[in-house]
Amino acid sequence: MDPKKQTIIFVLIAVIATAGIVAGIMYFVMVPTPEETDELEIYHWWTSGGEAAAVGALVDVFEGLYPDTTVTQRAISGGSGITMIPIITALILAGEAPDAFQMHAGYEGIEYFKADLLDDINDIWADNNLETVIPDVVQSMCQFDGDYYMVPVNIHRSNVVWYNLNELDSIGADPKAISNWTDFFDVCNDWETANPTKDAISLAHAWTQAHLFEQILAGEGIDVYESWINGDIISGSDPDLLAALTILETFMTYTNPDFNTLAWDEATDLLIQGNSIFNVMGDWANGEFLVANSVYDDDYGTIAVPGTSNMYGLVVDAFQHPAGVAHPINSDRWLEVVASKEGQDAFNPLKGSISARTDSDLTLYGPYHDWTFADFESVTYMFPSVVHGSGAPQSFSSELSAVINDFCTGGATLAATAIAIAALASANAADFTTVWSLD
Amino acid sequence: MNIKKIITRDKISTILFLIIPIVLVIIFIYICIIWNVVVSLSDWEGLRPSYNFKDFGQYIKLFTNEIFLTSLWNNIVLILIFVPGSLVMGLLLAILLDQKVRRENVFKLVYLFPFTLSFVVTGFLWRWMYNIRVGVLNTLLELIGLGFLSNKWVQDVDFAMFWVCVVLIWQYSGYMMLIFLAGIRSIPESHIMAAAVDGASTFQVYYRVIIPQLKAPIFTGFVILVVFALKAFDLIFILTGGGPGYATEILPITMYKEVFNKRHFAYGSAIATVLFLLIMIIVIPYLYSTYGGKKNERN
Repeated sequence: MDPKKQTIIFVLIAVIATAGIVAGIMYFVMVPTPEETDELEIYHWWTSGGEAAAVGALVDVFEGLYPDTTVTQRAISGGSGITMIPIITALILAGEAPDAFQMHAGYEGIEYFKADLLDDINDIWADNNLETVIPDVVQSMCQFDGDYYMVPVNIHRSNVVWYNLNELDSIGADPKAISNWTDFFDVCNDWETANPTKDAISLAHAWTQAHLFEQILAGEGIDVYESWINGDIISGSDPDLLAALTILETFMTYTNPDFNTLAWDEATDLLIQGNSIFNVMGDWANGEFLVANSVYDDDYGTIAVPGTSNMYGLVVDAFQHPAGVAHPINSDRWLEVVASKEGQDAFNPLKGSISARTDSDLTLYGPYHDWTFADFESVTYMFPSVVHGSGAPQSFSSELSAVINDFCTGGATLAATAIAIAALASANAADFTTVWSLD
Repeated sequence: MNIKKIITRDKISTILFLIIPIVLVIIFIYICIIWNVVVSLSDWEGLRPSYNFKDFGQYIKLFTNEIFLTSLWNNIVLILIFVPGSLVMGLLLAILLDQKVRRENVFKLVYLFPFTLSFVVTGFLWRWMYNIRVGVLNTLLELIGLGFLSNKWVQDVDFAMFWVCVVLIWQYSGYMMLIFLAGIRSIPESHIMAAAVDGASTFQVYYRVIIPQLKAPIFTGFVILVVFALKAFDLIFILTGGGPGYATEILPITMYKEVFNKRHFAYGSAIATVLFLLIMIIVIPYLYSTYGGKKNERN
């Protein structure tokens, strides 16, 4: 055969074959499977020791009830969801939403709600009588426009200072006597004098610094915090804002120099190892102490962040029912297990949070929870965390972390940071749709 | 000319071979670029796509936004340090290798090795090496008694960008070395011999004869490096995440944060378009001078 003709025929065969293979693959990928396979795919960011144990226990409860379902956990590490949230954004936009994913109650879900990407779950709340067992504050955080869109799995406290009791005893300091920042920094001074090579406070990277800042700001007064999360602090010379940043500046003089390279649990571990005496972190840190076999009121203890002793900073994790998921029945089952007494009693003692239900079995919880339960019953105010997605819009909170990080690493002056925080509020004013009333 | 002479058999098989890549390039590159510009002019807010034409407001917002301007400045600093640094390093390595060393190929492999690593791998590797407490660099410095030199590396707000550029130069100088070596080797022996006969020292031979004739490789290297510097997302995202603060945040990282964390799709697309235009400003003159105008000598 004429060699040129041969070439053309081979090329045509190659092109047609390639096209055929590609088309075949695309057909199998795009055509949806007709029957619903018995699976459940969930996403979360609970990857540290205590957290992984907690979510494992919750999944065990689910698997006990539905042994034929295969549960796939996709754990994406990155505290406060910093890594997982972008991934979920991409998945949702591609129409591949997982059956349930971890979310903070409050503002974090509002984008999904506005884009009609969540199904309301009023029936799950009604069938399980959840309104009778979940506190009013938390109920309102689970609603958009009056309908329920998520179930809370826990209530974490954000305004906690963890201390190493052994180290404090060695300098004769009584942590329970600390009532303000001056006392706090005095103890830091004393300890650093006695231990010149160590730093009194262990701090970690990124969002943990903004977490610290919002506790300090709450300590300036619940009305200050309320204005802040309503987007009303728009001046860089606001005295409360400047006062909070000044405290933060002093705070930074007592922290470990490599803070910006540590994940949150690594900073807590520094405390456990006796390399620092204070660590400000939400009570998910309790899991780290449990895993290290530390004993409450013996090796470690807790106080509220100075200035916030009559407040409970809320961080509420929740799960939802995304619209058009692959396994809607299993998604609903998961939500019911998450909201159930058994599920929450399995999850929360290990997680460090308290149950979102008022009928939880208190005997299952450890000594840390005695302290925090008592406070939950008796505090005057509760405030939703900004850094953990509840209190302010994402456009505000995600940039806040970078602004505070800039300040803590010495990249921006105090005055410039105050201006930047105020500018964030005014630049994103349109996103502040909720009007909080905390007192 | 009749049809038969234009559409020869060769041309048909050429076209058939090229159709698939061309279609893919049109879809995934050109259409996506146009789509991006459309989104930047639309009213898409939040997670529900929306393509109603709005206005150029996103671009106006960009140039008054401090974070964007910081990002842009960081990108420029990156270019100013990384590009000359890589070119000089590459030239140095090429000159060294041109000295007829034994086992030249082994050295070439060693210098080229960093370039074969993916940027994600390089990012993790250097993040570990730069670690203040347990990283190789600080530990080694302390071990050999140079502990006073140990510092915060990429955690230092003032010098973070510089240390990031060090990593990038480490990765790219091997590639530049290859380009320059080829350039040096293509210079006719007669030029060098003539210079030697005229009494030029080795230094003068390089400085006056060889380097001036390397204009083309330098230009090529420059374009490649600048285009990369504008895009260096994966390395910086892994190494510092844009931190500390905004010290190493460059345009692609700002774009990512705006779109995936804050769901500001139109604004993020505007940043992407600006980035695209910046790259075009560098690339189009290069393409024109290489392929346009009169047909000139190619290297």
